[in-house]
Amino acid sequence: MKFKDRINIDLLIYVAIIVVSVIVLVFLDMNKFEYNYAISIIEKSLVYAVVALSMNIVTGFTGLFSLGQAGFMALGAYTTAILTIPANVRPNVYYMNGILPALENAVVPIPVALILGGIVAAVFASLIGIPVLRLKSDYLAIATLGFSEIIRAVIASPMMDKITNGSYGLKSIPGFKSSLECFVYSLILIIIMILIINSSTGRDFKAIREDEIAARSVGINIFKTKELSFVVSSFFTGIGGGLLAMFMRSIDSKTFSITLTYDILLIVVLGGIGSITGSIVGAFFVTAGKEILRFFDEPFAIGGVEIPLFRPGFRMVIFSILLMVVVLFFRKGLLGGRELSFNDFIIRKKNEKLKNVGKGGKA
Amino acid sequence: MENVLKLTDMTMQFGGLKAIDSLNLEVNNHEIVAIIGPNGAGKTTAFNCITGIYTPTSGNIEYLNKSILNKEPEDITKRGIARTFQNIRLFKDLTVFENVLIAVHLRYNDNIFTSTFRFNRHQELAMREEVKVLLESQDLYKYRYDIASALPYGIQRRLEIARALATKPTLLLLDEPAAGMNPQETMELTSYIRKIRDDFGLTILLIEHHMDLVMDISDRIYVIDFGKLIAEGNPDEIQNNPHVIKAYLGVEDYA
Repeated sequence: MKFKDRINIDLLIYVAIIVVSVIVLVFLDMNKFEYNYAISIIEKSLVYAVVALSMNIVTGFTGLFSLGQAGFMALGAYTTAILTIPANVRPNVYYMNGILPALENAVVPIPVALILGGIVAAVFASLIGIPVLRLKSDYLAIATLGFSEIIRAVIASPMMDKITNGSYGLKSIPGFKSSLECFVYSLILIIIMILIINSSTGRDFKAIREDEIAARSVGINIFKTKELSFVVSSFFTGIGGGLLAMFMRSIDSKTFSITLTYDILLIVVLGGIGSITGSIVGAFFVTAGKEILRFFDEPFAIGGVEIPLFRPGFRMVIFSILLMVVVLFFRKGLLGGRELSFNDFIIRKKNEKLKNVGKGGKA
Repeated sequence: MENVLKLTDMTMQFGGLKAIDSLNLEVNNHEIVAIIGPNGAGKTTAFNCITGIYTPTSGNIEYLNKSILNKEPEDITKRGIARTFQNIRLFKDLTVFENVLIAVHLRYNDNIFTSTFRFNRHQELAMREEVKVLLESQDLYKYRYDIASALPYGIQRRLEIARALATKPTLLLLDEPAAGMNPQETMELTSYIRKIRDDFGLTILLIEHHMDLVMDISDRIYVIDFGKLIAEGNPDEIQNNPHVIKAYLGVEDYA
């Protein structure tokens, strides 16, 4: 049935992509110093892909426009950082205000810290979800945005000095030992999220996105399902925040300002709201794009005449124009809710053929 | 005859407007009952009260002799009342198969862990098999990969009914199932409604404006005007009821 003929070609292609990626990453890791720049772009893209996909669960698949990403990332990032910074360097990190005695030696393995970060984010999400998820569209966006800023303010507040190091931020966070490590973490998270989206739970999410009243009429508990989607999304966003902390190796509250949410939103919108592959491709497209366009920031001369536009900041102008073009011409993002899929392509071709045959028969 | 649905003095008030004014209505097992009335009479409001979208201002709603007042729509569906909507409400961007599959969920209990890690594989296969059988019986299986919103109007209507059937209802509420259909399609729909009633052992309550269909299919008819019940009876009685003629034609002197 459908179950079976879905799997074959796409799965093969995905496995092939993963194998090729692993080979490339191993090669890059072996020549770490030469490809430092490429490695950092890839790692950042992978982390952003995780967070973008987690945002897509709630925004693209459940139809809840939430802008709390940066807040949940901050929760995950700080939890991961606090639990993984080696105990012996902690006095240096907390040199201004000291550290809470209970946390002095609280070091756990990185995967455990990441999961705990996700759980902290999920717990906060479940609490604020209760009042906030009763709101619709724009109001929900504003409420979650506000929450995100509150988290940021609390983290930076002097009361939290002994835990979050207040406005000084945290540093010496153990980073990825290799880009492969980052890849493995991201891959596991992305696979789990894809499994969720394609499960019966994921179908309930989609039903709510399509039509809430119809969803209720077939027996879906709207509130529970929305809450579930929000909590699950925040869980993965939290882990994504932890990965970001590992990537950056030092974080402070400003890292998780509203611009971070916009970056993620950009990826989701650009890739296609409600498209898994869109979020992943979008993450690489946006992250790499911002770097590749860097030459617009350098002075540039044609025939000895220096073009005045080419100066720091110009790349963001170009980038914004590209964005507008995408939004104007591909209103639903590059993939527009669809997936990059060979199977679908083949099925569509087959259907067209069948339909044409049918038409021919009638005429 | 067993009583499936019973409304007692149900009133629904929106501000100063009484959309429904102490409506009494009964539907018995295996009956096809129609609610008719001019536009704005409160027919759909009555449906929305029964399915829990609105909570009536006063009165009572009993389903299988138990009150379903103040129950959430999803709980009412789980108890066995399914419905379709006046302006078709499908899961537009999902396929025909998914549309019906989602409606099957309520009878299977899996949580996010079992469904994510596919521990519910057997359930999933059972659900899919069930949908396949249902779609085949409704002659919709050939559309299974099609996106719901891309289907012709008539098929969308049938898909919506199929989705309602997937919840395995006892009582099916149809809100203007023949809206936008031509006479030929309306005739087909008439036999189709009878067929699903017999095949699935349903009791049907429907709202309709096509009088041919209503008179042909209904065991009993309720006529509502301005939220008030003005007549009830079998099709013959309704056709000759002076109040009904007055409400529909708006004349004092009827022939």
